[in-house]
Amino acid sequence: MYQTFDIRKGLKIEMDGAPWVVTDFQFVKPGKGQAFTRTKLKNLITGNVLERTFKTGETLEPAQVEEHDMQYLYSDGEAFHVMNTETYDQLAIPANVVGDQSNWLVEEMVVKVLFYKGLPVSLELPNFVELEITYTEPGMKGNTAQGATKQATLSTGATVNVPLFIEQGEWVKVDTRTGEYVERVRR
Amino acid sequence: MIDPHGLRARARVLAAVRRWFEDHGYLEVLTPTLVPSPAMEEHLFPVAAADGYLRTSPEFALKRVVAAGLHRVYEIGSCFRDRERGGWHGREFTMVEWYRAGADLGDLMDETEQIVAAAAEALGRPAPTWRRTTVRDLFLEVVGVDLAEASASDLSPVDEGWDDAFFRRWVEDVEPRLEGAVFVEDWPASQSALARVRPGPWPVARRFEAFLDGVELCNAFLELTDPVEQRRRFAMANAARAQAGEHPHPTDEALIEAVGRMPTTAGNALGLDRLVAALEGWPGIAPGRVEHPAWARED
Repeated sequence: MYQTFDIRKGLKIEMDGAPWVVTDFQFVKPGKGQAFTRTKLKNLITGNVLERTFKTGETLEPAQVEEHDMQYLYSDGEAFHVMNTETYDQLAIPANVVGDQSNWLVEEMVVKVLFYKGLPVSLELPNFVELEITYTEPGMKGNTAQGATKQATLSTGATVNVPLFIEQGEWVKVDTRTGEYVERVRR
Repeated sequence: MIDPHGLRARARVLAAVRRWFEDHGYLEVLTPTLVPSPAMEEHLFPVAAADGYLRTSPEFALKRVVAAGLHRVYEIGSCFRDRERGGWHGREFTMVEWYRAGADLGDLMDETEQIVAAAAEALGRPAPTWRRTTVRDLFLEVVGVDLAEASASDLSPVDEGWDDAFFRRWVEDVEPRLEGAVFVEDWPASQSALARVRPGPWPVARRFEAFLDGVELCNAFLELTDPVEQRRRFAMANAARAQAGEHPHPTDEALIEAVGRMPTTAGNALGLDRLVAALEGWPGIAPGRVEHPAWARED
């Protein structure tokens, strides 16, 4: 059991039958009243966010979660197969758990897989990934307009907006949290 | 982390506040920080020191000064409240506290407005425009509940006492929506501490709090001057403390005796660290304080 003074960013708790992570917290105490801790919580399965206030003296249950580093091997269309980098155990993660993150998954990438009550429920990717552009319109020579972009298709099938000077066959760095182009990389 | 800009801002406010009190006939008094009897309120936790406590406010000492015939007094100094740590709370903080015999709560609101304006001016910022309301009106406005009729279960989904339920709604819904500068008057009588109570169908404590953009700045009382009632309140607070598994606090007999000799008086206790931080728009009190990094907090 956690007490309210254990509340920190990143603390994982069990509440209403789901695991939650504390994303923000604030100690509040009205002059004449009880102390409370205001929290912002993110559901580790659905990503839903809510605010919850805990009164000092209330206890919080630790979430039954574990996190393991897993290497991505391949996809068979229905599941994404990964391997535990410590035990070499292999596991198939259903496509619906991976969701849109499949846009940034490349073979051999090591991801953090969150298990809730023994089942994989979410993935945490590295913040940045380097991917090859498989298709984009040719850049227009001489167009140096600041901030102008075009669409490009990546080797994973995802599309990303890139500056006009980027050519097909080049590699780019993408932020997996926002899906945005960061910079061109030389390979 | 030491913030030179923050410390300069704080020094300007401190000087402006002192000047305001001097200009308005208040005598500065420095009372002891180490006291034999701490505040009695159920939700205040004093720091034990030597054979006494560090004060949670200079209230008891200043009331003895008022009872002795000094009718306009103020003090600026450190106070200590254990178990209070966060962006807007320090276990040690700076209190500005003043008492004025013959004044009522309206006078103290006027004075609070002037002091905040003087502090704002010292920082080169505009003085806020104040709104005055009551706790009951705020709950009607924001929560849609009439406190005069609401039970604890109307206020909170958790099974808890009326005051805890009230404060849960306050903390979750009301306080975050207090924009600008607001005086909030007429608090539930169960939270009267050392204030007089106005009887009626819904009795209320004769006290107000001031908020600047949701930050609680001060707490003012029309002071209780009935020693019998004062003793009864202290006994109730000790009973509540015992029920919560805490030690009872020794009663300040000198204070109870002084309360009986005190003229009608209004007093206000204002957090200086918060005043500077709220006017400067800081995310908490830290920039105006010299905290040891070993005790830094992340919220």
